[in-house]
Amino acid sequence: MAGSVAFAGNLNFLNLGELLQLLGTTSGTGTVRISSAYASQPSHIYIDKGNPINAANGSKTGLDALFSLFGWIDGQFEFIQEDVTCEKVINKSRMEIILDGLRLLDEGQVEQIGPGKSEAQPQDAVSKSGSLPLVKGPLVDYSYVVDEEGFYDGDEIVHEGNHGNWIWVILEGVAEINKETSKGNLKLLRIGDGAFLGSVAALLKGDNVRSATVTANGNVQLGMLDAQLMTSELANCSVEYRDFVSSLDERLKRATTMAADIYSEKKNLRDLIKGKKTLIKQGQDENRLFRIRSGEACIARETDVGTVPIANLQEGDFFGHIPFLDMGQEPYSASVLASNDLKLSAMDPKALQAEHEKLSSTLQNILAHLATCISITTLVATDYFKKSYSKATK
Amino acid sequence: MAIVNLKKRQIECKIVYYGPARCGKTTNLEYIHKAFKKQVKGEMVSINTDGDRTLFFDFLPLELGKLMGCDVRVQLYTVPGQVRYASTRKLVLRGADGLIFVADSLEVRREKNMLALRDLQQNLKEYNVSIFEVPLVMQFNKRDLSDDNISLMPLEKMQHDLNRQLNVPAIPGSALKGGGVGKTLNACLKLVLKALQKELNLGG
Repeated sequence: MAGSVAFAGNLNFLNLGELLQLLGTTSGTGTVRISSAYASQPSHIYIDKGNPINAANGSKTGLDALFSLFGWIDGQFEFIQEDVTCEKVINKSRMEIILDGLRLLDEGQVEQIGPGKSEAQPQDAVSKSGSLPLVKGPLVDYSYVVDEEGFYDGDEIVHEGNHGNWIWVILEGVAEINKETSKGNLKLLRIGDGAFLGSVAALLKGDNVRSATVTANGNVQLGMLDAQLMTSELANCSVEYRDFVSSLDERLKRATTMAADIYSEKKNLRDLIKGKKTLIKQGQDENRLFRIRSGEACIARETDVGTVPIANLQEGDFFGHIPFLDMGQEPYSASVLASNDLKLSAMDPKALQAEHEKLSSTLQNILAHLATCISITTLVATDYFKKSYSKATK
Repeated sequence: MAIVNLKKRQIECKIVYYGPARCGKTTNLEYIHKAFKKQVKGEMVSINTDGDRTLFFDFLPLELGKLMGCDVRVQLYTVPGQVRYASTRKLVLRGADGLIFVADSLEVRREKNMLALRDLQQNLKEYNVSIFEVPLVMQFNKRDLSDDNISLMPLEKMQHDLNRQLNVPAIPGSALKGGGVGKTLNACLKLVLKALQKELNLGG
């Protein structure tokens, strides 16, 4: 029976000790396959009900092989859930192996294999090819999952315009996010394992209208997240931080609306930029963060075919440099254009960052995912703008 | 950061014994392992690390009852303090739900205690944990040695040295004979549970 990959990741995030602990607590049975750019061939650890029973690394087998793997600082692992038939040659307890393995590593008795310094490049969420990229999230924190739900290929998970507050995380599978426009259906995003569905603003406001339709692409297993837990966590944050979060959520909705407007070739889009003066120029070195007290601003991307509006901001919205999230917009990848009556107050990015880092990993992941979605929606909008431009000039 | 294991309906949390070398962390754990045999799950893992030993075992504190319908399972660890054991320390300290700082009452170890406490603060800081916020209990160990005419620091002095700012529960102990060992662990478990309830929003 060929097993399926139950979970995968990078050793520089989850080291072998932590990985074995995790597999231990879930009593998994299967094979861990580790590959590293610094080793000529992948190695294997065989796990039976959470306990390592054998391993192979090059010519080494058993405990020797397992210990040697503690030296792999960098590498990709995947856990394949399957029946394990190999002989049990490791009899030490799991925790003993972990503690002893780390001791050997610390004492220099195990050779370290990996880069001297971790130089992992953050993966570019957006592929350069024309097809829609697949957005995946990090490992799911199951303590936040209160219920699981399965959907079959083609099932509608969320319908645009319906009310709904639930936030899900994709445990397995791929979903597509679409929006209705006057020119038909617009494909916005494809999201996969670890990605989130739903609006974080629903946690703050209590009511939420779905801004797009989500459909299962193949079978999808969703985990419903504990909204109460997250709501109370956000309730403990400062007003400034909560406002920031709802504005960030609003930013995605605005970018989505704009993408739909550009897709349906709505007229008057240029009016949004007309008469506004450039406040932050795309690519400008800007470390400040502002909040709009009155007036309007427009986030716009400069392209070779002109300036593309991507989100319209109003009173209460923020713009500028966020040190802990990458939205793929201003100041590096978009400009900010302001109306003449724009009034601003400065925000303290350091204070926001400190609050952000105190949040649970689940909420941090949701916000990071939100920022990634904004970034990709911006790209989608820009792409359609370019397409309609080239059509118009033909 | 306790782990909720839905499959086994258990909440797993971690309590770590920290302190200067030879202060009696290991003796504490050995006593618990021996005296509370029924509550100990699985074998004690003992790793010889330079100058000290690293111990680990699983413990089911029966008197705590259930939390959200889950059993509470505690992993008890000691941690090697030496700088070189960075990977071990990282694994042990990361996600620790409670800490027990074992201080040595011998007068000659006074400075060692303070250095170890400062180390602990530094190490916790690396994992973004404040020593003022984490559930922490102190044990002033080796009180029994006063019978052997060995000069010990008075409790008030130790309290002043180590616990003036922290102001956490401090319990005199003599781990070799088991004095104060259970009391220290229970005090820490109570704090951990309180923190857990707060974290899980059960209103503690």
